[in-house]
Amino acid sequence: MKAIYIKIAVFVMFFTGILQMKLFGIAWENFRIIQALHIAVSIIVMLLLITPFIYGHIYKYSFVKKVKSPEGWVLLGSFLLLLCSGIYLFFIGNRGGDLFGTISFNTHLYGSFLLVLFFIYHTMKQQKPNLGFAMLLVLIVSLNPSSVYADTTKLSQMKVESKNGSFHSEDWTNSAKCKSCHSDIFAQWSDSNHKHIAGSNPYYMAMETLAGEAEGEEFRKWCMGCHNPSAITMGFGKTTHAMDGNFLSNDIFEKNAKALTDDFKTHGNFRLEEGVSCITCHQITKAEGSGNASYTISLDRKKYAFEDSTSKAGHYLSEKLINSNPQVHKESYSNPLYKESRYCASCHDEFHPKTDVKIVSTFKEWEKSPYNNPNDKSKHKTCIDCHMTNLENDKFAPLSGVSTDGGVVKKDVKVHYFAGSNHFLSGLKNKVHEEQTIQLLKTSAKLDVDIKDSKLVVGVTNVGAGHHLPTGVADFRELWLDVTITDKSGKVILSSGKLKSDGNIQDGSRFFQKVFGDENGKPVGLLFWKYKILLSDTRIASKERRVESYEIDKNVIYPLSVNVKLNFRIYPQWATDAVKTIYPNLPNPPVLELIKVTKEFQ
Amino acid sequence: MKKILFYALILAATVLSTILLIAFLMPKKIIPNYSDEKLRELALSKGLKPVPSSYEELLKLVDDVKNPMTPEKIALGSELFFDTNLSKNRKTSCATCHSFDKDIQNRGVLLSTLMAKNPEITNCAACHLRDQSGVDRFTFSEGDSGTQHPNMLNTQTILNTSFAKYFTWSGEVQSIQEQSANSFQAHYKMNLTPKEVEERIKENPKYAAHFDEVFKDGISFENTTKAIETYVKTLTTRSAYDRYLEGDNSAISHEAKRGLANFIGFGCKGCHNDISLGGQSIQRFPLREFAQVYDLKLNFEIFPELKRLDSEFPFENNGGYLGKKNEHLFRVPILRNVTKTSPYFHNGAVPKIREAVDVMARHQLGRHLTLSQIDEIVAFLQTLEGDLVDYGIKGEK
Repeated sequence: MKAIYIKIAVFVMFFTGILQMKLFGIAWENFRIIQALHIAVSIIVMLLLITPFIYGHIYKYSFVKKVKSPEGWVLLGSFLLLLCSGIYLFFIGNRGGDLFGTISFNTHLYGSFLLVLFFIYHTMKQQKPNLGFAMLLVLIVSLNPSSVYADTTKLSQMKVESKNGSFHSEDWTNSAKCKSCHSDIFAQWSDSNHKHIAGSNPYYMAMETLAGEAEGEEFRKWCMGCHNPSAITMGFGKTTHAMDGNFLSNDIFEKNAKALTDDFKTHGNFRLEEGVSCITCHQITKAEGSGNASYTISLDRKKYAFEDSTSKAGHYLSEKLINSNPQVHKESYSNPLYKESRYCASCHDEFHPKTDVKIVSTFKEWEKSPYNNPNDKSKHKTCIDCHMTNLENDKFAPLSGVSTDGGVVKKDVKVHYFAGSNHFLSGLKNKVHEEQTIQLLKTSAKLDVDIKDSKLVVGVTNVGAGHHLPTGVADFRELWLDVTITDKSGKVILSSGKLKSDGNIQDGSRFFQKVFGDENGKPVGLLFWKYKILLSDTRIASKERRVESYEIDKNVIYPLSVNVKLNFRIYPQWATDAVKTIYPNLPNPPVLELIKVTKEFQ
Repeated sequence: MKKILFYALILAATVLSTILLIAFLMPKKIIPNYSDEKLRELALSKGLKPVPSSYEELLKLVDDVKNPMTPEKIALGSELFFDTNLSKNRKTSCATCHSFDKDIQNRGVLLSTLMAKNPEITNCAACHLRDQSGVDRFTFSEGDSGTQHPNMLNTQTILNTSFAKYFTWSGEVQSIQEQSANSFQAHYKMNLTPKEVEERIKENPKYAAHFDEVFKDGISFENTTKAIETYVKTLTTRSAYDRYLEGDNSAISHEAKRGLANFIGFGCKGCHNDISLGGQSIQRFPLREFAQVYDLKLNFEIFPELKRLDSEFPFENNGGYLGKKNEHLFRVPILRNVTKTSPYFHNGAVPKIREAVDVMARHQLGRHLTLSQIDEIVAFLQTLEGDLVDYGIKGEK
């Protein structure tokens, strides 16, 4: 083999290598090709060209001609070093979790300079400089102006950024694809309420259809902006649900997003993933924080070579390419914005698209709460500090672990259970989710009980939530007091907040909730968007105490035994009954006892 | 040895480059960007027509001297169509599978259903009745007492069948009247003999007068199916696509117009033609032989994907149905309202519209459509989604 080919090969490898350095900042379109080329060429060149050459070269000069060349041996050493680090980078990668990855990356990068220096010295020593080979690299840096176009109707504030103006289901990369490297996070998300927010959520499906019926099909988009953004961008007017033969698929009990992963295996990205997927949150570039899907999502992201490939080989290679140099991948899926509350506010505030009536104001409640304290970092708590932090033994216990398989061990991995208040739907799938949510709910309130002047006084304090208790679509969330007082003989002299035989709560119970009325002052029932007049508001603002008092007959015989419970139920029985008309398999949500106080009064 | 290796390599390279060359030299089908007027002209010239919006226009197209349509007959047909007594277990009517509300203006059953103590409608119908799709949304049809179709066939829409020439999946049925007679008698549908049907009709005194008014010979099985036929012929839908064909350029989106151009240009309209966009002929499916063994997808991956398909269809053939005479012959389905009638194909094996478009392009046209082309065609198909036309026929007393 002629030495000239070796020279070309070495310099091609060197240049394609260093061009990937941040210093050069070449356009992503070129980067991804060069990166793939660098690896492909290295396999061909190293195996087929350089290895036999080196063997022959050493044999000829060192053993036959007995030429002494120390720098030649150094050259061999550095070559082997680059080879090993390269192999490590390709097969295992620089994922951040092990020191070897970082070492390999740096060895590979700086070792190449060493190798080239020695290589030039080695070749120049033997002969006059022959610069007969010249490398010509033409870099086409094409900067396409990014255009933002928004299919915003007033119904959804969502904007989509796209360079070429079109996108497909492929751009909504299926979350099952993320699973292969982010298995823990995927497992958490797969049974969470974010995953099951659209087609597999019976309450949502009933409500979206109802909204379409009551306000016109177009109105579904108001719901879909947050619940099903992928379908909206693809021009679908409604959320679909899965079928199993002639039956509704049983996905309210389905664990680990089985249908989604199966779909991905057979259809790849061709079949659109509906609901809140990895991409939905991790491709948001701007958030106005004003609710009703007021975010901008960009579907143009930097993709490594073969990333969209449908073949197994391509999929394998793309993973290797990402792992070997994951910086760009990391940057294109995370954003400092994601730690701010206004990011969550894109969807966790809700107003009527035509009348502007505020329906859900979780973010605005937080803004006014003591938790919004940007001046004092120790007191400032954003959404993720409670809702994406692991809980253990009813306390926040940041989870130490990895977000990428083999990645850096983080002290506080942001868990993707998205614990809020809906312990019920996620709990049908996974007990861990249920426990996380129940623990979070229990941190939120405190109960104090006293009897004064023949009055039972119960105080409920919102000690843990950075928003009202309850929040969300607060006329669906039931938080109420269950009170029983018995006298000396054990006779019940006061009872409140018990369930009736049909599962609804007794009339006259003390609720902490807001009650929506329509324009005529009648309760809105299921049609919460009809809300015009606030009939009552007994929610408890952050850090505030609300007092309920009950009259006790003056003639009762002490001692009194008082039993007070703060109960929570995610959906009222009448709402569940309605949804069960369509989903007969849906169980009833249980009543959750958040706090219980038993006291004797003399 | 070296020589053999050399020639083998040369040969391999030649074969490979020839294959690639053919792929590259194949002329790319370029669908021009038509202006709105040009596209409309093209569509109309290819036989695509809007659904008539007036009863008189409809009569001109669908009335038949053998069974003339009169308002009274249509009203009688409507009563029979929704009568659950005309099935063995008295629970199934035509409208059970070909579902929509009798009052076509009534699009609001969900709220009343959800709030009712003992709702009449449950499950799927609560949400889907208002779709006006003319199908049951099941994967395979279920008749009287939940008997499933022996071939697990999917229910086809009854809407717009007045414009079709052939009926049912095999296309062996020539008229709606014939098919309604079949449906009454099939054990997996209404499960009644003609005599039983007549008896059931006589049970209801309302019918006697109505039949006498409409037919000279009063109640009979044949007259029953005739009345049903006239009613079914009025079940047509109009959509944004019709408004576009009639001159409203803003009725459909730019993407949908591209989809229509693709639909015509790629040749979909060859079979899905006329007013109903289907139902006019019987065709073979899958058409491309290669599809039966290998689905070779030429791509520039490291290794080309080879997928072996074991079944006769590009999907699993549950129910084992093979079309007319077991020769893969099927009536071309009507595409109007196709986005409301998932799942697709004769056994409902393909749940999503984009996948159905992809299958059709591959196996009927031999084309791998690009993602944009598929999305455009789907956008066009969405414009075929329409509401039942209220022709204001007043035949009831």
